[in-house]
Amino acid sequence: MRTDYTDTLTLTDLTLWKRLAQKRIPLAFDLELTARCNNDCRHCSVNLPADDAQAQQRELDFDEISALVDQAVSLGSLWCLLTGGEPLVRPDFPELYLCLRRKGLLVTVFTNACLVTEAHAKLLRDYPPRDVEVTVYGANQQTYERVTRRPGSYAAFRRGLALLEQAGVRVRLKAMALAANLHDLPAIARFCREHTRDYFHFDPQLNLRCDHDSRRNRDIRAERLSPEQIVAVEQADAAQAHALKKACEKLKTPAADRDNRLFRCGAGRNSFNIGYDGMFRLCGALNAASCRYDLRAGSLADAWLHFAPRILDMQSQAPDFLAKCRACPLADLCFWCPAHAELETGKLDGWCEYFCRVAHARFEAAQKKIP
Amino acid sequence: MTQAQLDGVYAPAGDIVAREIEGELIIIPLTQEPGDEQDALYTLNDTGRDVWKRLDGAATLQAVAHALAADYDAPFDAIARDILGLAEELLARRLLVAVSSAQS
Repeated sequence: MRTDYTDTLTLTDLTLWKRLAQKRIPLAFDLELTARCNNDCRHCSVNLPADDAQAQQRELDFDEISALVDQAVSLGSLWCLLTGGEPLVRPDFPELYLCLRRKGLLVTVFTNACLVTEAHAKLLRDYPPRDVEVTVYGANQQTYERVTRRPGSYAAFRRGLALLEQAGVRVRLKAMALAANLHDLPAIARFCREHTRDYFHFDPQLNLRCDHDSRRNRDIRAERLSPEQIVAVEQADAAQAHALKKACEKLKTPAADRDNRLFRCGAGRNSFNIGYDGMFRLCGALNAASCRYDLRAGSLADAWLHFAPRILDMQSQAPDFLAKCRACPLADLCFWCPAHAELETGKLDGWCEYFCRVAHARFEAAQKKIP
Repeated sequence: MTQAQLDGVYAPAGDIVAREIEGELIIIPLTQEPGDEQDALYTLNDTGRDVWKRLDGAATLQAVAHALAADYDAPFDAIARDILGLAEELLARRLLVAVSSAQS
């Protein structure tokens, strides 16, 4: 609506975003409140036990978070994703949430909903977030708890989701696709679509552990779908099959004279991540020691203005990278990025066979679908 | 539309946050009522921004109009009309509240 004096904008107002996106402003950031979680999901890359005292000790406290958010706001941040671990394991979540909203941030919350109380639902009703995204691990108790490995978690999830819905909080549902719930994905999709009008997607990408825990990484690898299974579930979903087809139409071979920079996504250009322990990173998956900046020993402005550009400029001359990923026309179909490469191979420019097979399988499947 | 008065005193509502990002004034509501547009943010044009910064809960609209008329070397009546229009619009959107009595 336009009148003489004020404009009403929505978040999708492209003029505003386009204008701001042309400059390197940290419009959005992820804030990991904790690495702890009440569940013990077999596929999760960040879920230390809820009672892990050491992890709790490393967490940023309220005052540290408040000060960092002030710095983010002064740099131009408008949008914050509160994530974890499970953000609601922190008893000070309500105060933190309200603090962020009162500093003028639009907030999204990622949660498993199991710990939602009436007080949380009231808070989110009275001070609406941009949205609350809840992951659905299964559409029944057996599947859900096979993933979460927590007896009682399905009932807790349903209770928490109901509280949010009864309060009128906008909830978006999503799912991870893994071996433990593959058979139940159609039912999960139905459940999600019954409960959320404008959003549902599933993600087959299971990242390895940020803490490089080798035992847990074995669990995650065991839960990964094969490239053929990924293609099958994606092609069975009209929206994801359509998105894949569109992505295939836009594929192009990188120019031969393009530089060899590693980072080509939006991370570090308009967004960043603050880890639960006060580490600044371009994104939550980027855990290489050389790519982490300790905000407890520095400042967000220094991290954003001086540290991040050095990361963004990193290049590789590794023959494997130059011959495979750097020149690959299927890059947009691939899980590969420097952060994921480091988690898989220990090198930011490492090649990952699994990623490569998924990208090629996706491409072949989409080609078959294109008349 | 809610009526604004030239001798009235107004201030930004308590449940909004006004942010300036790259020269753009963005008003972010913290709360939402039934019928409100989801994800609504508000911006003001240049004139509106000048007025907004002076709505401090102390000065009357008349005083704001006199100050702006002097700054812009413009007729008081035209400026006052604009300010009333803006104030009524902001009141209707619940971005502005009337303060009970003038502080100065």
